[in-house]
Amino acid sequence: MLEALWEGLLLILQWKPFAFMLVGVLVGFWVGLLPGIGGATTLALMLPFIYTMQPVEAFAFLLGMHSVVATTGDITSILFGVPGEATTAAIILDGHAMAKRGEAGRALGAALTASLIGALIGAAALALAIPIVRPLVLTFGSPEMFMLAIVGLAFIASLSAQGARGMVRGFLAGGLGMMLAMVGQDPQAGVARFTLGTLYLWQGLDLVPVLVGLFAIPEIIDLAVRGTSIAGGVPAGRISRGALEGVKDVFRNFFLTIRCALIGTFIGITPGLGGAVAQWMAYGHATQSARTPEERKGFGAGDVRGVIGPGAACNSKEGGALIPTIAFGVPGSTSMAILLGGFFLLGLVPGPEMLTKHLALTFSLVWTIVLANVITVVVCALLLNRLAGLTNVAGHRLIPVILVLVFIGSFTSNSQYADILVTLVFGGVGYLMVVAGWPRAPLVLGLVLGKIAENYLYISVARYDAAWLARPVVVALLVVAAAVVCYPVFQAWRGRRRSQHA
Amino acid sequence: MRNRASLILALAIAALSGWAIFSALAWPWKAKLFPLVISIPLLCLALAEVLWVLLGSAPGAAAADFKLSEEHPPEVARRRTAIAVAWIGGFFVVILLLGFLIAVPLLVFAYLKLQGKESWGFSIAFTLALWAGFYGLFDQLLHLPFPAGWLFEWLGLAG
Repeated sequence: MLEALWEGLLLILQWKPFAFMLVGVLVGFWVGLLPGIGGATTLALMLPFIYTMQPVEAFAFLLGMHSVVATTGDITSILFGVPGEATTAAIILDGHAMAKRGEAGRALGAALTASLIGALIGAAALALAIPIVRPLVLTFGSPEMFMLAIVGLAFIASLSAQGARGMVRGFLAGGLGMMLAMVGQDPQAGVARFTLGTLYLWQGLDLVPVLVGLFAIPEIIDLAVRGTSIAGGVPAGRISRGALEGVKDVFRNFFLTIRCALIGTFIGITPGLGGAVAQWMAYGHATQSARTPEERKGFGAGDVRGVIGPGAACNSKEGGALIPTIAFGVPGSTSMAILLGGFFLLGLVPGPEMLTKHLALTFSLVWTIVLANVITVVVCALLLNRLAGLTNVAGHRLIPVILVLVFIGSFTSNSQYADILVTLVFGGVGYLMVVAGWPRAPLVLGLVLGKIAENYLYISVARYDAAWLARPVVVALLVVAAAVVCYPVFQAWRGRRRSQHA
Repeated sequence: MRNRASLILALAIAALSGWAIFSALAWPWKAKLFPLVISIPLLCLALAEVLWVLLGSAPGAAAADFKLSEEHPPEVARRRTAIAVAWIGGFFVVILLLGFLIAVPLLVFAYLKLQGKESWGFSIAFTLALWAGFYGLFDQLLHLPFPAGWLFEWLGLAG
């Protein structure tokens, strides 16, 4: 095993695979920075280029690109409040709030360090988990997968708002997201649902236009209202010192970083949940680390833990997602499904062969994740002053640039003007939600999980009738969901009692 | 303001979920199972939020999310919001009429000159640089299909 690990490193350090990895990292760096151009889309666009490559070169190129997209996506999210990637939206809540406070450097330092630690943990999980993960994944059937989706929604709905009313709003937003996920032709009966008689909606709502509208439009309006730079005229100060503070923040919250990285890895391993879920789950867990309601209020207003959690989870999920892809040929996300296509293009069959005959190649994937992330974080750290300085550019110079990125990012998802209309509609919804103090995170999670959850619910009911509700893991997950909902209420009640006694 | 926005959202969700339940009843069970499982509790929760607002309870703590800045008086904020919305809407209309390739430089220049009160030199240089980057990356490198504007189609000038 150790021999194969060493052989994997030597494979990736050959000049050709290493050069292809650097090209991949360069592409991924910019794809991550540009909002709306998804990592999955770029992965698909790059597949035709691998025909003439050796497997180790091809995966160095594809995985090198894919594994750094989330890292640089964090930068756009923090500096501009526009999700650089669908998987980096959660970091906006606190990261962008920090940038506006003039702490862009600190937020970037924390995000990059957490990303690196997350990536290393994900890669380590991939290396260690292969022999033991198979029985775990195979115990999860459709009922358990459905319940896992519900636990995810309960997690974020209950933790992104305060009190009973906040929780109702969280569930309202999550339910709305699930409803939006039903738009389009349903996969079981072929009925066109909520399509308003338009052909565009038959395929359902694309995540990118919805996300871009929901997050970017309210930010652009706020930037225009403030009439200043993103940092609001607050001097960025010495960015390098701020960045160092961010690095220290990660080590001050080291166990939170590890826990969020493990959440990301686990979500990555679980097929069908994907990276967009991992960041919100980790964000929910990070908010849970607040000990008092006052501390909880700091989340969304620039708490560094809200940057560390999603930052770590976003990168650790890649290693996790590779586990079922390589071991069982079950892709954990859209990107992994595309990567799986790459395996077949190169004549490789995921499964036992990847763990025996091609073990060194499998370990070269682990090393690609490690090396690509180390290189990206070092490059980002070197460019930090320039990147963070962007937040002090006058707002009226940034608004047209961000607007162009928003409109193009939205348009590229289906190359239809209706995509932009969707962005504008959800921009309005997002603005209203911000004004009303409703959380947007559950809406996104509901939209991401909706289709998967429906599929699992249908299979569960069709196959087990009502008996699926009595399966032990389902019951256990139901208890977890109930505990997740009840815990903040209990915490608030305990806080009130304590303040009465004081 | 917060309660009014909350009322609008809750009423919209109640109406949407009501419509979803009504529509779903006509579908086969395979298609209506999930819509009903989600829409019925959603309708109840939306009505609870409507009642909360109408009964005059305090808006409650805001979510852990982005918050709008409150450094300007409400009337200034409202006016600036209206202007920003007009620019965003206007950009969309210009894209529809003229296509991305013309709308992008036009908007960037107009925004810098009219809204940002930048100098002619800076506005032109910034617009050219942004347009070159946009054209080089999305049109030449990525070959994204940017259709000509509707105006060109109406005039029969679209290639």
